[in-house]
Amino acid sequence: MTTQLERRYKAKNKNNIGKVIQKQSKKIVPPLIAIALFLLIWQILCSSPDSNLPSPIKTFQDTWDPLIIDPFFDNGGTDKGLALQILASLGRVAIGFSLAAIVGIAVGIVVGSNNFIYNAVDPIFQVLRTVPPLAWLPISLAALRDANPSAIFVIFITSIWPIIINTTVGVQQIPQDYRNVAKVLRLRGAKYFFKILFPASVPYIFTGLRIGIGLSWLAIVAAEMLVGGVGIGFFIWDAWNSSSLSEIILALVYVGIVGLLLDRLVAFIASKVVPE
Amino acid sequence: MSVFVEVDHVGRTFPMPDGDRYIALKNIELKIKKGEFVTLIGHSGCGKSTLLNIIAGLDKATQGGVLLEGRQVTQPGPERMVVFQNYSLLPWLTVRENIALAVDEVMSDRPKGERRGVVEHHIDMVKLRHAADKRPGELSGGMKQRVAIARALSIRPKLLLLDEPFGALDALTRSGLQDQLMQICEENKTTCVMVTHDVDEALLLSDRVVMLTNGPESYIGQVLNIPFARPRHRLEVVKHPNYYSLRGEAVNFLNQQKRGKQRKVKQTAIARHGLEKVNLEIGFIPLTDCAPLVVAKEKGLFKKYGLDEVTLSREPSWKAIVEGVASRRLDAAQMTAGMPLTMTIGIDGKPPLPTVTALVLSRNGNAITLSKHLYNEGVRTLADFKAAITSSPDKIHTLGMVHPSSMHNLLLRYWLASGGIDPDLDVSLTVIPPPQMVANLKAGNIDGYCVGEPWNSRAVYEDLGFVIATDLDLWDGHVEKVLGVREDWANQNPQTHLALVKALMEACEYCDDHRNREEILELLCQPHYVGSAPEYTRPGFIDPYQRGTDAKPELLLRYNQFHIEKTNCPYRVEGLWILTQLARWGITPFPKNWIEVLDRVRRVDVFGEAARDLGMMDIEPDRGSIRLFDGTVFNPDDPISYLNSLKIKRDLRIQEITIDLEAEARGERLEARG
Repeated sequence: MTTQLERRYKAKNKNNIGKVIQKQSKKIVPPLIAIALFLLIWQILCSSPDSNLPSPIKTFQDTWDPLIIDPFFDNGGTDKGLALQILASLGRVAIGFSLAAIVGIAVGIVVGSNNFIYNAVDPIFQVLRTVPPLAWLPISLAALRDANPSAIFVIFITSIWPIIINTTVGVQQIPQDYRNVAKVLRLRGAKYFFKILFPASVPYIFTGLRIGIGLSWLAIVAAEMLVGGVGIGFFIWDAWNSSSLSEIILALVYVGIVGLLLDRLVAFIASKVVPE
Repeated sequence: MSVFVEVDHVGRTFPMPDGDRYIALKNIELKIKKGEFVTLIGHSGCGKSTLLNIIAGLDKATQGGVLLEGRQVTQPGPERMVVFQNYSLLPWLTVRENIALAVDEVMSDRPKGERRGVVEHHIDMVKLRHAADKRPGELSGGMKQRVAIARALSIRPKLLLLDEPFGALDALTRSGLQDQLMQICEENKTTCVMVTHDVDEALLLSDRVVMLTNGPESYIGQVLNIPFARPRHRLEVVKHPNYYSLRGEAVNFLNQQKRGKQRKVKQTAIARHGLEKVNLEIGFIPLTDCAPLVVAKEKGLFKKYGLDEVTLSREPSWKAIVEGVASRRLDAAQMTAGMPLTMTIGIDGKPPLPTVTALVLSRNGNAITLSKHLYNEGVRTLADFKAAITSSPDKIHTLGMVHPSSMHNLLLRYWLASGGIDPDLDVSLTVIPPPQMVANLKAGNIDGYCVGEPWNSRAVYEDLGFVIATDLDLWDGHVEKVLGVREDWANQNPQTHLALVKALMEACEYCDDHRNREEILELLCQPHYVGSAPEYTRPGFIDPYQRGTDAKPELLLRYNQFHIEKTNCPYRVEGLWILTQLARWGITPFPKNWIEVLDRVRRVDVFGEAARDLGMMDIEPDRGSIRLFDGTVFNPDDPISYLNSLKIKRDLRIQEITIDLEAEARGERLEARG
């Protein structure tokens, strides 16, 4: 509301643009200063020639060509640009996460709408959700006998728990008012599902999805390190083996930014879908 | 009209986490006619929403059940649509979609076009065309509630249930919506049950206001019938002469409930001076003959007998007195002569509640007033009045009286019957609290009334009516007001009861001395007692009585009789006369065991003990016959033949009155609760 007012105010008083920039700069300048300070300290700490880690400037110099300037080069095998590596990882996440979302929401709705099932399976979920993602990898490798499906399975199994649990809560927390409306109108079956249950639990479902996407991005990097192939996780592992620390640092920055973007993407979709 | 919805002895008990049970509702019985608008009113937590939910089927009664058109309600359904307090619109649907959801589901057998039509019609009905495509989040509270009402009405429910629908709205929006709801309900003849805590809203909208007592174990404390003609308009309703008396009753009920709640917490009996309880709450009605109570309080007579903390509670109606004593809000009260008997036997569907009287507070002091219009038509005597009634068969003459058990009712009926007028068939009698009489006469709602002073003299003083007869003309020395207490109260507090009788007896003696009357008049005219102007309180009490006719004012020394001539003894023969009259008019059955009933109710023994203690005469008047103005002799040894000899009467019911079992069980239960 206030921002809207501000915007209107801004449009009317173009002379005040300077002021607005000043205001906005309060949000931009401090992080810039923090980053600069961080880089500076890092530079100071790692500037001696016998330092174990590269300084920021050295990192930049090492990775400028070809990693930064050409993210799409493809020399065959696993020697590919960073963008291609990340896209490969994102592909796995997309498959695993989509499966987790579909299965998780379905299971969550079933569990949430039936108290008996909830009491039965909730303890199991609580145990399973605490299992670290990589602990699933040996089992999935044994079962699927292939690297790529195993990595996708790890994504799936990691992100499904928050989706199930939040959906369950969402269904259980449907306001009594809406339930009463449904009861009085005798809404049943598909109509109840699409008109009441699903819309009412959407906010909770999206909370689950947002946690899930974060977890799956965490898991993919670890999983790829182990299973190999094209992907940002294996790229990091590969760089470690060839002791090019600068490449690792660059990859970490990229992983962080992509994770942030994924989170924001889900949040953005939620803001469009969830009723106010 | 037949019963449409029947709430049949519904009780609701909730299990508590500590394994206890909370009884929210107990034995609720309510019959609702088709097209009726019934309001449930009560304090927060009294279970009114629970009751509504049970009718809706959203909650299940622990005992009893709800019938809609004879079929039991087992689950919620669209024929009993609910308008919830917080609107309960689905926020992800637009106004149109919210209404359409209900219409499509409930009228799924109709063609699509027709359903669209219904939706659009109801959007227009609540004037939301401009907002039809908005979501609830973009609407104000009032608009949301309009959508909820439109949604509810669109599916043509047989019964519309509204749970505090306007509770969260500002006053302006609320009154607009009330008008709209009223109009819509009248147009569609919808049967409605609404929960509210707003008395004015209830009076404006409903045909009946059902008032629930405070929980736990809420029950229907009182039902008000709202007589305003429909269609109603806010301003006309407020101007209706009965509006403020009805509002007063409702507000008084709620206040009593609130006080009851506080009392449960703090008030316990304070025992002192060898008395079981010295903090008494005594109810009275603003009338000249409440003088003994006022004198006992103001002249320190209660204190003299050890009753240190007596509070006099000015009650709005006799009904409130009955409720107050029954609910133990009042320890004792000024009562009409027949009230202890009717309470003991049980009238109006109330369970019997043994009530006793050990003291008559006053005799005489009533008059029958007719309106000045009748005077101008030449009515001077009862025969003239009969002629006036016969000559205008289209007009129903309505007369006011204060309570079915009061001497006003019995004497008025007796007087009418003696002139050949059947009080039920030839005229209409209606109950109006004494202070409301003059206003109703002025408004033309009634053509006359029988009431105690100063309300006759006031009509004469304001030139609205004339006194056609005083009770001295009918039965000189009849019992008028008595002191009434619950029997179990009297048994638990025998010394207190005795002290109370003694204090009041001495006050009665004081009141009867005409030298004290000027002083008493001043006390009575104080606003927290009778609050009447001295000009019209004096006639009869001090000054010569003016009838508002050509007759010269006449000094009536025995008009307000408080002590002399064995006034204070509650002797049994006059009690028997009252029993015969109650039976004559079908108010109560005549008790076959009338000796037992009278012995229990009229405690001559307590009176005698008090009189002896005070050194006054402890003599019950002679067990003789009573002869009234018309020459009929009432023989106390043969009441049945007396009743049979009466010409104008209702069908006689003679039956054994068993008052003990249920009454005592009720008493115990109340104690356990208190």
